[in-house]
Amino acid sequence: MIVEVRKFGNILNSRPSGREAVLISKQIINGSKDINEIALDFNGVEVITPSFADEFISGIKLLYPSSKIKIVGMENNPVIKEVLDSMEKDKDS
Amino acid sequence: MDIFIILYYIINMSLNYQKYLQIIKESAIDLSSLDFLYPWDMVMVSLLLIERKDQPGKKIILPKNQDLLKYLKRMHLQEILKELAYIEEAEFDSVEVPEHYNLNLQELSHCKYRDEFDARLGHFLGMFLNFGMELNDAKLATAIVGELGNNVFDHNLGKWPTDVSGCIIAAQNFPKLKKIEFAIGDPGIGFLGSLKAAFPELDSDIKAIKKGLAGNTGRIGENRGNGLKYIQSWTIKNFSGMLTIHSGGGVVEVSEEKTSEYQGIKILGTLAQFVIYYK
Repeated sequence: MIVEVRKFGNILNSRPSGREAVLISKQIINGSKDINEIALDFNGVEVITPSFADEFISGIKLLYPSSKIKIVGMENNPVIKEVLDSMEKDKDS
Repeated sequence: MDIFIILYYIINMSLNYQKYLQIIKESAIDLSSLDFLYPWDMVMVSLLLIERKDQPGKKIILPKNQDLLKYLKRMHLQEILKELAYIEEAEFDSVEVPEHYNLNLQELSHCKYRDEFDARLGHFLGMFLNFGMELNDAKLATAIVGELGNNVFDHNLGKWPTDVSGCIIAAQNFPKLKKIEFAIGDPGIGFLGSLKAAFPELDSDIKAIKKGLAGNTGRIGENRGNGLKYIQSWTIKNFSGMLTIHSGGGVVEVSEEKTSEYQGIKILGTLAQFVIYYK
């Protein structure tokens, strides 16, 4: 199951937008046959802020605790990697 | 960042404090003796004007220096004056400035609502590119702006002290120095007002700003609050820059070398600025 994050916009900001994106993703994911692995594909996203990323990724993880959540499509955008890495480091510390 | 730049900023900040003491004359803001204003000053003046907008005798005395007057027109100060019903707005009618007078500026923009701010982020990405930044740096700088704006709306929604809401933005590129100053202010409840509910022991603006910079939030029971920590990390690590926050009467400035704190003039809300150096 792949969620194309760019469908929510190429500049992703704010917690309210992140929450709305979770709700829409839920509709998409629930209509899918395979939810054992959910890939959040960031290809095509230009800018993401920590607020949106936190709200969106944490929201999906909370909704699907038994699914494997994969982040893909960061390779071409070091900024998205920077934002997500900073958040990951924070969770580890 | 070398020691001379740090010294320059310390001296500049001290001069700024003196400058603001001189321009504030109760309900009047007197710019008559000034020769130059930075983006930080432009947003500061806007916040001072908001604070005084309902006072009897409110007034802005415009600068005598004609170049500064042109600069203020180019920065669209008259739009802020019009919005806040300052009659001196009309004085700008006779000042003639081509719109492309200075392409290294981002004029004052007042985003009253979150949607307005979100919609402008694409514009800011383009602005950073036009200033000469590389694409990935421009994207990261836009993420910093986005997060600063998020904080404005996240912490003030439903709590705005006056009937003026939102954030005011101004920026300037200094191409020879490859430096950008980006300032964003809001007439909101400030760091102390936001954090006091969760941290009742806080008793000063400076302590509240430092608490916020360390990754804490005033939203009780919610797992959030790290945005500002990332902003300072990126500003310093990726751009060798400096983040300054003035909230209430406290000022905290963070660079790679040090964190400075001092008392500034008492303002309504918060003024934040990041200074970044690009390749």
